[in-house]
Amino acid sequence: MKINAALTAALLLAAGGIAHAQQAAAPAPSWQQGMSGDQSTSTLHPLAGLVTGRPASELQLGKLKVPPGFKVEVFADGIPDARAIAIGDKGTVFVGNRNQSNVYAIVSNGGKREAKVILKGLNSPNGVLFNKGTLYVAERERILRYDGIENNLDNPPAPKVVIDGLPQQPGHFWKTMAMGPDGKIYFNIGSPGNIVLPGYIQASISRVDPDTGKFEVVATGVRNSVGMDFDPRSKKLWFSSNARDWLGDEGPADILSMVKYKGEEHGYPYCHQGDMADPIYGKLRSCKEFAAPVHKLGPHIAPLGMRFYTGSMFPAEYKNNIFLAQHGSWNRTVKQGYNVIRVVVDPKGRVIKSEPFLEGFLTDEKADPPMWGRPVDVQQMKDGSLLVSDDYNGVVYRVSYSK
Amino acid sequence: MRARLQFQPQAGERKTAAGAIALAAVFAAALFALAMPSAVLAADIKAGEQKAQVCAACHGPGGKSANPMYPILAGQPAQFTSTALFEFREGKRKNAQMSPMAANLSNADLNDLAAYFAAQPAPPPLRQTTPANVAAGRDLTVKNACIACHGAKLLGQQQMPRIAGQFQDYLRAQLTGFKAGTRADMDGTMSSAAQGLSPQDIDVLADYLSGLPTQ
Repeated sequence: MKINAALTAALLLAAGGIAHAQQAAAPAPSWQQGMSGDQSTSTLHPLAGLVTGRPASELQLGKLKVPPGFKVEVFADGIPDARAIAIGDKGTVFVGNRNQSNVYAIVSNGGKREAKVILKGLNSPNGVLFNKGTLYVAERERILRYDGIENNLDNPPAPKVVIDGLPQQPGHFWKTMAMGPDGKIYFNIGSPGNIVLPGYIQASISRVDPDTGKFEVVATGVRNSVGMDFDPRSKKLWFSSNARDWLGDEGPADILSMVKYKGEEHGYPYCHQGDMADPIYGKLRSCKEFAAPVHKLGPHIAPLGMRFYTGSMFPAEYKNNIFLAQHGSWNRTVKQGYNVIRVVVDPKGRVIKSEPFLEGFLTDEKADPPMWGRPVDVQQMKDGSLLVSDDYNGVVYRVSYSK
Repeated sequence: MRARLQFQPQAGERKTAAGAIALAAVFAAALFALAMPSAVLAADIKAGEQKAQVCAACHGPGGKSANPMYPILAGQPAQFTSTALFEFREGKRKNAQMSPMAANLSNADLNDLAAYFAAQPAPPPLRQTTPANVAAGRDLTVKNACIACHGAKLLGQQQMPRIAGQFQDYLRAQLTGFKAGTRADMDGTMSSAAQGLSPQDIDVLADYLSGLPTQ
């Protein structure tokens, strides 16, 4: 054990950029970075989706649960690695990819709904956003815009570049976007590893003006936000973020937070969940210097896509609630998440309550894998129903309500 | 493994005939529950058997290759095989023989083939590890966190292949390729993991893994 610990420590030093005596520096995979010596026999590992997806007929839909009056169904299958969702002005549902390279459009063809690839060969096009006739796609290192794409789904226009030259980084390289009330695109740049000192503009939320390309950092110390939206009442930016791994089952908590002003610091890598000093970086700065999260969601629960509900299909009390997809942990011996929750927040940015909304993907919290599906994003349709993507099965679900 | 453990009697519990029957009934019910999803897979396995006929030329009947040039596919986790075929098809992983074989496969083909090979029992190892490399090999699998993904016995799970009992030359070639960055990698994990391996480590690992039991 001692030898293991020493070796692991040496590897960690090498990963940190300090020259290794014998051979070239060996960076640990970013998900493994930050493991302590006594975790060398851990069998925790990230989960991978099914590369082909799974047809709706093979899903355990009977296990899914929603509150009384709500109904969940498969909206479309055949979208392997289904990630962020955007809705076009004409009702087209766009879906991005993280590990694969396509953007899909779900369209109705003579009463039959089908998902088809409309953009291919992109570099991790995780983020999709639709605004005023334009589809924005966030790749690994740039954001593209496809103007008027809904009129030409079979022959999409050549894209224009909104911003290019974002960091070529390992770790959290996938992007998510939200359209600000100021007409600017807000997006994340994740941290390049589990627990590292981020470079300039890494571990941040930034914004870019899609017309001028002007870029600004909005919030720093955000390890990896894969979901953000603006409160329609306060116009404040809310975001979810995933906390560091390898500090055990009980912490730190992943968070739901709000940006109060431009340039606000949110703590990573020095301070987690607002009050937990990092064992390495916590010595450098105090938790008191940073914005605290609005809500602690739970350790390794992996909050991703979030949206304020503004529709009129659901009961009135759901108005302005946050729906939040939790992709589920891997770095925890007892798994949690793998659901969509409803968070009731007031206009001042306080959480009134939080409760499960769509659950049943988690089948055995101690099994490997523990689940049969993993929610990624939530998006409101024009009729007020809620779409939920699942990148494990390559499926988009629809939750609707009727009295 | 864990599921089976649940049905073992608690320490100190007396195993009566009635208890045994009850346990057997619970176990049978559990097996039935587990078998439910594979009702869908059964058809896939049959389709996969047909589609796998062309694979047998190199990978042997049922994927039980006897030629060290071609990896053993029998008993590989289905998600691993479908992912590997996908990577060949998409051009992420390249091989002069496999790339054209995978080029025209549909998603259904990938899954049928994967289900078929997963259902074939893995053949026992065809060689024994050099005694001097047994302990050294085991240490390397722990130090390099092989067991985190490939499982405690390196039998593979989900998208991670069974490397226990695979051919020595094949294992050496893959690890060398990962280290050199020439072997496609799903998410960078294997490329990173191989960076710390010396050529001698790779030899020891290939020798050790190829001699491990496959069950």
